[in-house]
Amino acid sequence: MSKPQEVGLDGAIRLSRRIGDGDIKRGDTILEVRDLGVKFWVNGEWFDAADEVNYELKAGEVLAIVGESGSGKTQSSMSLIGLLPSNGRAVGSAKLKGTELIGLSGTRLREVRGNEIAVIFQEPMTALNPVYTVGFQIAETLRTHFVMAPAQAKARAIDLMRLVEIPDPEGSFDKFPHQLSGGQRQRIMIAQSLACDPKLLIADEPTTALDVTVQAEILKLMRELRERVDAAIILITHDMGVVADMADRIIVMKDGRVVEHGTSDQIFNDPQHPYTKALLAAVPHLGTTATDFAPALKVSLVREGDTPIPLGPGDAGATAALLMEDVTIEYPKQGRRPAFRAAKNINLRVDPGRVVGLVGESGSGKTTIGRAAVALLPVVEGTLHVAGRDITHATNADLYPFRRDVGIVFQDPGSSLNPRLPVGESIGEPLFLHEKLRGKELSDRVEALLDSVELPRAMRNRYPHELSGGQRQRIGIARALALEPKLLIADEPTSALDVSVQARVLQLFSDLQERYGFACLFISHDLAVVEMLSSQIAVMKDGVLVEVGPTPEIVNNPKHPYTQRLLSAVPVPDPAEQKKRRELRDAIIESQHLVS
Amino acid sequence: MTDERPNEEPQLPSEQGTPGIVPGEQLPEPSETTEDATGRGEGIGEAKEVEGLSQGQVVWRRFIRHKGAIFGVVTLGLVALLAISAMGIGPIPGWWLWQDPMKPLTQVNQGVPTLTLPTWLGGPGFEVGEHPFGQDNIGRDNFAAVMAGIKTSLLVMTVLGLTALVIGVTIGSLAGYYRGKLDTFLMRLTDLAITLPVIVLGAVLGRLIGGAPTKFGLPLEVGQWITANMPLLLGFALGMILWPSLARLVRAEFLSLREREFVDSARVAGASDWRIITKHILPNAIGVIIVNTTLLMSAAVVLETALSFLGFGINPPNVSLGALISMNQSAFQTRPWLFWWPGLFIILIALSINFIGDGLRDAFDPRTKRIPSKREMDKALSRISPANAQEVAS
Amino acid sequence: MIRFLLRRLGLALGTLLVLSFIVHFMVDLAIDPLDDLRQSTAGNKAELIARREAMLMLDQPWLTRYWSWLSGFLQGDPGYAWRTAQPVVDVMGSAIAASVTLIFASTILALLLGIMIGIVSALRQYTAFDYSITFVSFVLYSLPVFWVAVLLKQFMAIGLNDFLNAPALNIPLTVGISIVAGLFWAGALGGDLRRKLAIFGIGAGITAGMWIFILYSGWLNTPAIGLIGLAILGLGTALVVTLMFAGINNKRALYSALTTAVVGLALYYPLQWLFYLYEMNMAWMMGLLVVAILMAMGIGWLWGGPDRGVSMRGAVIVGIVMSFLMYIDRIMQVYPYFFRHTLIKGRPVATIGASTPNLTGDFWLMQLDRFMHLLLPTIALVLISFASYTRYQRGSMLEVMSQDYIRTARAKGLPERVVITRHALRNALMPLASIIPVDLVSLIGGAVITETIFGWHGMGKMFIDSLKGSEIDPVMAYVMLTGALAILANLAADLLYAVLDPRIRVNA
Repeated sequence: MSKPQEVGLDGAIRLSRRIGDGDIKRGDTILEVRDLGVKFWVNGEWFDAADEVNYELKAGEVLAIVGESGSGKTQSSMSLIGLLPSNGRAVGSAKLKGTELIGLSGTRLREVRGNEIAVIFQEPMTALNPVYTVGFQIAETLRTHFVMAPAQAKARAIDLMRLVEIPDPEGSFDKFPHQLSGGQRQRIMIAQSLACDPKLLIADEPTTALDVTVQAEILKLMRELRERVDAAIILITHDMGVVADMADRIIVMKDGRVVEHGTSDQIFNDPQHPYTKALLAAVPHLGTTATDFAPALKVSLVREGDTPIPLGPGDAGATAALLMEDVTIEYPKQGRRPAFRAAKNINLRVDPGRVVGLVGESGSGKTTIGRAAVALLPVVEGTLHVAGRDITHATNADLYPFRRDVGIVFQDPGSSLNPRLPVGESIGEPLFLHEKLRGKELSDRVEALLDSVELPRAMRNRYPHELSGGQRQRIGIARALALEPKLLIADEPTSALDVSVQARVLQLFSDLQERYGFACLFISHDLAVVEMLSSQIAVMKDGVLVEVGPTPEIVNNPKHPYTQRLLSAVPVPDPAEQKKRRELRDAIIESQHLVS
Repeated sequence: MTDERPNEEPQLPSEQGTPGIVPGEQLPEPSETTEDATGRGEGIGEAKEVEGLSQGQVVWRRFIRHKGAIFGVVTLGLVALLAISAMGIGPIPGWWLWQDPMKPLTQVNQGVPTLTLPTWLGGPGFEVGEHPFGQDNIGRDNFAAVMAGIKTSLLVMTVLGLTALVIGVTIGSLAGYYRGKLDTFLMRLTDLAITLPVIVLGAVLGRLIGGAPTKFGLPLEVGQWITANMPLLLGFALGMILWPSLARLVRAEFLSLREREFVDSARVAGASDWRIITKHILPNAIGVIIVNTTLLMSAAVVLETALSFLGFGINPPNVSLGALISMNQSAFQTRPWLFWWPGLFIILIALSINFIGDGLRDAFDPRTKRIPSKREMDKALSRISPANAQEVAS
Repeated sequence: MIRFLLRRLGLALGTLLVLSFIVHFMVDLAIDPLDDLRQSTAGNKAELIARREAMLMLDQPWLTRYWSWLSGFLQGDPGYAWRTAQPVVDVMGSAIAASVTLIFASTILALLLGIMIGIVSALRQYTAFDYSITFVSFVLYSLPVFWVAVLLKQFMAIGLNDFLNAPALNIPLTVGISIVAGLFWAGALGGDLRRKLAIFGIGAGITAGMWIFILYSGWLNTPAIGLIGLAILGLGTALVVTLMFAGINNKRALYSALTTAVVGLALYYPLQWLFYLYEMNMAWMMGLLVVAILMAMGIGWLWGGPDRGVSMRGAVIVGIVMSFLMYIDRIMQVYPYFFRHTLIKGRPVATIGASTPNLTGDFWLMQLDRFMHLLLPTIALVLISFASYTRYQRGSMLEVMSQDYIRTARAKGLPERVVITRHALRNALMPLASIIPVDLVSLIGGAVITETIFGWHGMGKMFIDSLKGSEIDPVMAYVMLTGALAILANLAADLLYAVLDPRIRVNA
């Protein structure tokens, strides 16, 4: 197997015309983009989403377009196949093998889509039609561009599914998207995009919606595929680690403009533009432990078999800010849906002034622990102490004084603030409720809090939708700190933010932690972020803790296989180092025989 | 082979009754709240548009931009003004000549309407005359009757709206917030409500109110009070059968809002249930409540007139537009105006409210955006980049 | 699956029981069977009252009356209408058939119209066409059904009957209709200005031409589709069906559809003989339809090719359309006789009742008679209810068209036709399953009014009359029947939903 044609396309007659003459060879220039711009018509005026984008792309090459949200990286690529929203227009020129793409319409455009240029979308759950089987959706692509009998298309689709390492491709052919896991769905998307042997693949954030270990597997697959197919790949992403893993050349975009363009090596090792430098500096880099004080726990505790990890030693003489002993947490039964046990036999402590990181993938139960710690979820077994107070079976009335001692910062800054309240009121609410502050006093405290999270005081009268994501998250932090709690739960506080914003919020967070000295349970899927802040890390998988240990131990010397896999899966924003890590990662994936 | 969690919870079919809607609720267009879709360009400009405005101002701006809604507000306002000023309200008499729509008068021009069109509309010249909407066969003034009927309809509609609003919001929010038994009860109740047409229940209730004085041998004063306040009672009774649809929607809204993180934030901050419901959730559900109460009110106008038409609603001496049509349907060939005018005003009122409701829905829906037509955009594009516009057009 | 059904069925029976309890209480409270006696001046007034009280158990507590009704009902005796001493079963027998015909005819028509117009409106979002449809549906929405029904009965029917007696060309009306038709097609089919103008011209021209042809060929006196009309319509359907569901490039699908149409044409005369030789009835009609479907499937199968399913589906649709057209054609053939019939007196569009009393004739004549009676009430109900389907379908379609998988389908290079018919349509139709039962219930409510106005002895009129006459048993029978119908519709919708949406696992 060296090219997809060999797995079943031979003999099939193409319905759709191809562009250019015959097959492409590696190194041929496929795409020439000149002064490409994308404009959106908003309220009677044109708004530039991308402007003066220029690049060339050769067969077999991976071009990464990097930028933060709103940088125009997606729109400039979607304009190549006329997939802009209805109020968008493309200007300029983009030639695929000499054929102008901008302004194509009707049959000519359809012959390019899927046939010459294929797209891998970000969210495989919503990008696949829920009411058709995945096999049908792959075969449909084939039969749109080829004269093919259903049986022939099915055979080719199964070959493609085998190519992307779907387990039991014959059986999976008749499965619906919701019956597959996220990683498998993304594999289906990839198989579908390769179906017609396109000249150009556009991968729009192909791994963003996936967990990091699944992301690693998809990246591995994509690396292998790029050796096998001659197509050029445009990789659109915000993740510098993914870029370091895949890209030959990189375009950095900001506010619709290309700020830097160079080879992967140039961009990572010798960035010229200040924005590129700032962007690179903002990316949390795994393996840079900054904690300088020694935790009580010296060695990692590892889960073996079914025995839960015991409670580690605490700081001498300190009352733990958070103490979970053999805690099991359930989502209560709702109607006919049975109760769901999201975390089992958890032993965890957070000492005053310490930051403990809790790492896990989606569905691992890490958020559950955070919510139980602030009494938003009931503890069904074990005991839970917060700042010395037993809240295991506390009633609402008992909880009232307890509320002063805890604060929580949520992941989604869009949803964690009441849209109908000015943010000043949101910040002031705990003060209003607990310290019974009113009028001037309340207003002074709110202003002080805004100062402490480095926001202008005037912002207190704004509504959440008027603020950017980073600003909203600062408001969220200010509210959580309003009562100067002893324990702060930070539930993925930065994962919805762009990297540069994330860096600033994290900086603020660690400054505040130093200033107020609260204990913190920092929940995140991002090991690099957790590593920057915490002295101890707990790793969680499927509702149980699998490893707890001091940060350097966990990062440099992981013991549990899952921790090892998790760590190896995190791509680092450095091509040379990532190359080494990649080999390790691929070895682990191979050895553990994992297919998402 | 995989360490991922099983996929999303399966959606059970109608876990608690049908995933449907209940009568009285109109235009249940599917919608879900989506956060701004940055990265796909659709969110672009949205933030710019609403900068520096409170939610209320945003809604207001969108509302007044909605031509249909403005048409509705103006029309409804004018109709209400005309009816109330003509027939008076409470002790204040109106300006219209004939204040009693039941009084037989001398036939003017065989009862043909004296309202004539102005010359520029092809009429003999604008004139109102003594009986602009004509008279019936015993000479009663149709204008007075129609205006009185409008007043009745507006009263029934308002009372019904308020009743349904209060009950529906209370029960809906409690059921949605606390779930449990109350929720089950509400769902069973709405299951019941969707099995019978509202008109059937309405007819039974109308008959109950109308027949109560004689059936139960109530004292004369009580009987008179009931007769005099028939519109009020009917509105209240109909509100009692129409609230479940609103409660159901409020419940659904509460169910989704209570899972939002700002509610958790408030709870962690120590807010009481009462405070969470009234301060945090209710203001966010206000859109659903206003829109659906409005639509309920437009359904109410049609329902009240239909019941009166069938004889189970408003009876003389009260005047209802439906009863007028019922009375005069056989006179259609000889005196068609007795049929046209009440019908026209029913439609006008219901249409205005529907348009207002539509405008409110658009105004409250964060996803509503004005997208210009393709031609308009091509034209605009050609101004800034002529070469490309030609390409697009070709 | 069985468990799910049983659970839902149990729940439904419980709901019905509670419903009967509440409604019986309310109706019992509302009606006053002694009303007429109380106002009577007869000397033996007290005795009469006492006798009636005993007959209707009014001297006993309500619960006893409820229990007596319920036990009777459960044993299959829904009581009797005491004023006429007629058992409810007798009253209901014909009433059910009349109401169900009306309700189903209206629902199906309203659904088809509503869905089609809603989808087109969504696809032409923000165009003049979309705005007009929105406006019209708002107006229809605000129309009270009783007003429309009275209007149709007192205004339309007379005009229509007069017109049918002396068809004459009304120039402004013809021009108006042609322009509206042209605008409709231009708006619905869309395209650039030139294309729209062309469509407008063709649409308006064909409409005007058809109209003039109908008037001057005497078609209105002896209406028929005929072999030529059948050929045009059948082949046209074959083309459209292929274009919509398979794409005109799929030659085998096209040939299957066309062959089915041709076979249908070839069978036209043999069928006329069949109709002539044998007395027809509904069972015959259904049987013939089944035969037609099987034949169409066979044709699709024989043309076969790789996409056998697609070919067969297209052929079956054409087969059904052809059968229906031939049925209509045969009914039209009795029109001249019907028109001159002494009981009809040249007023074919009926305004009273569900059928002409005392009219006797063959199957076709009775069908035509029923159709003429159904015409106006159905128009009234469809006008009112299709607007809500339009709005709903439009919203649902817009929602689906903005989904990611539609973008994926486009990115795959699928033609827009396939994107819409295959990927959007099925997803957009699913939510409809949940509003059909609700709309059905409000349509039943509308039928109460329509039946009253058009003098149909249907369930709705029975309800109104009995409520007025203080007869509780027929009222309860109506309530139970309507309730059962609504619950069945809900159940059917749930099942439909489960079939349409693979994400739903029926595991309750």
